[in-house]
Amino acid sequence: MSPVVFYLCVGAGLWVAGLHGLMVVRHPLRRILAINIMGSGVFMVMVALANRGTTVDPVLQALVVTGLVVAVSATAFALRLARAVLSLSPPPRSAKPHTIKPRPTQPHPTKPRPTRDSPIRNSPP
Amino acid sequence: MNLALISLALPLVTALLLMLFRSRGWVWVALASLLSLVSAAGALYEVVGGGRQLLYLGGWDSALAIRFQLTPVSGLLLAFTALIHLLVAIYAARSHHSQTRDSDYWPLSCLLHGSLAALWLSVDLFNWYVTLELLGLVAVAMITLAGPKAYGAALNYLTLSLGASLFYLLGVALMYGRYGVLDVLLLVELVEADNSTRTAMILMSLGLMLKAALWPLHQWLPAAHASAPTAVSALLSALVVKGPLFILWLLWSQVAPRELAAQAGPILAMAGILALVAGGWAALRTPYIKTLVAYSTVAQLGYALLALGLLLHWQIAELHVALWLFVLAHGLAKVSMFLAAGEMQATLGSRRVDSLKGATQTMPVAMFAFAVAGGSLIGLPPSGGFLAKWVLLQPLFLEPRHWPWAFGVMLGTLVTAAYVFRVVALAFDRARPMRPDYHPDPFAQWLAMLPALLVWSMALISEPLILWLTGVTD
Repeated sequence: MSPVVFYLCVGAGLWVAGLHGLMVVRHPLRRILAINIMGSGVFMVMVALANRGTTVDPVLQALVVTGLVVAVSATAFALRLARAVLSLSPPPRSAKPHTIKPRPTQPHPTKPRPTRDSPIRNSPP
Repeated sequence: MNLALISLALPLVTALLLMLFRSRGWVWVALASLLSLVSAAGALYEVVGGGRQLLYLGGWDSALAIRFQLTPVSGLLLAFTALIHLLVAIYAARSHHSQTRDSDYWPLSCLLHGSLAALWLSVDLFNWYVTLELLGLVAVAMITLAGPKAYGAALNYLTLSLGASLFYLLGVALMYGRYGVLDVLLLVELVEADNSTRTAMILMSLGLMLKAALWPLHQWLPAAHASAPTAVSALLSALVVKGPLFILWLLWSQVAPRELAAQAGPILAMAGILALVAGGWAALRTPYIKTLVAYSTVAQLGYALLALGLLLHWQIAELHVALWLFVLAHGLAKVSMFLAAGEMQATLGSRRVDSLKGATQTMPVAMFAFAVAGGSLIGLPPSGGFLAKWVLLQPLFLEPRHWPWAFGVMLGTLVTAAYVFRVVALAFDRARPMRPDYHPDPFAQWLAMLPALLVWSMALISEPLILWLTGVTD
């Protein structure tokens, strides 16, 4: 197996691993890491392809550099957003997602005021 | 070409200046959109008269250069983008309920305009990757303007969008490894139907379909578009999802080898029909106003996908026209629908569809705008949506073997009518109307009406429009 093929396979493997992570994992930070692993896979494929001829292909290397710039800025933005999301909500495991307030069994003594989210139906009181 | 470059540079420079001076002056944004619209119209006029124009950025020759291409379609999309931005900027500045008046909406919307313009003009696989990333990042930043409740949807959109970009980038890397060029016009002459090309095309298409929220990769769209501020939702639904669609169209109709395209066509068309039915069904069931409109975007993109798929399968030239008519008609109608929905939601003080009860009495203009835009989505004549559907159905009716697809279009129409009339019927239930929390804002409501009137007026110039588009999309 030539080195180019080897690195191509490793790159593709990283990409698939990252994709698997992105689809399976829920935690924001892990998803961002999964995207970065996918990105590294793509860059590795590109660098391997750059060496496929006798001379190194500068275009692909330039693409990798551009891709890295994009990846760094996108990751920075994603991390900031993830921090904002995580600071809003308690960790998803400890939270009780389906807490439903018990409905009052007795009807309200006064006529209930129509609330915003449940306008009065046409049924007579 | 210079005019097209001005149309691209104006919003970009405005965005940078607004950020530099930390200004939130909407006047500058509206002015930039207006001037951009004028120069895009000039560019369109030039390119229709003189034919396709190419620009070699930096003056390099074609092997190294990144090229810009101005075709009549890209000129039309430039003008359309500027027009929508102008309309939405006026709404965002003047509506009492706009959450974006004193926010970072202004530089971001200019950046969005600039990245879209760059996308329409690019004709290079890697340059498209960069513009797609710009578009995704700006779109996510604009969704977060709605505040903490939108962060979750925004983060989900961001991660999926970044993942989709990496699908696309891997496809680009394979394409370059196989042919050694990134320029689409050079690629067209080299491309062959072999396994690496097939893999690359599939990877790029999956990435683009996820970004354009084409069925079955649309799950992120309703949450993201519904949680954004109203002005942003309108821009996202009308323009941002069309960017990846444009690339998908160019890739499959020009770059892909004929036999590969003919194989992919029925799959795309089938996905289009399923998008129409599944998106429409979800819109029929959802309890929230803006989610309904967002699901309607998922459904309507199905028409574009159907037109693209059938176009690839049978190589019928009219379907190019149908595709772009759908994009224009849907863009205008969706701006109108989102602005009307956002305005009603803010004035009535509830996000639920139920609260629209009696809205024809309390907010007649906004409700009328919603219904008129919905009429175009259904395809009632005389509207832009009808025009697009007419052009799509005509070649389908000619041959009996095409009829099953025409049945799919009919099914989509039926579902669309169902969710539009769900809202309209509720709005005419005037027995106990939901009382508004605030005074309805007539100016904002009329502004929501304007694009709906524009889409209906497309029918007035239907014949020249179809003939012209047939001429330029060949």
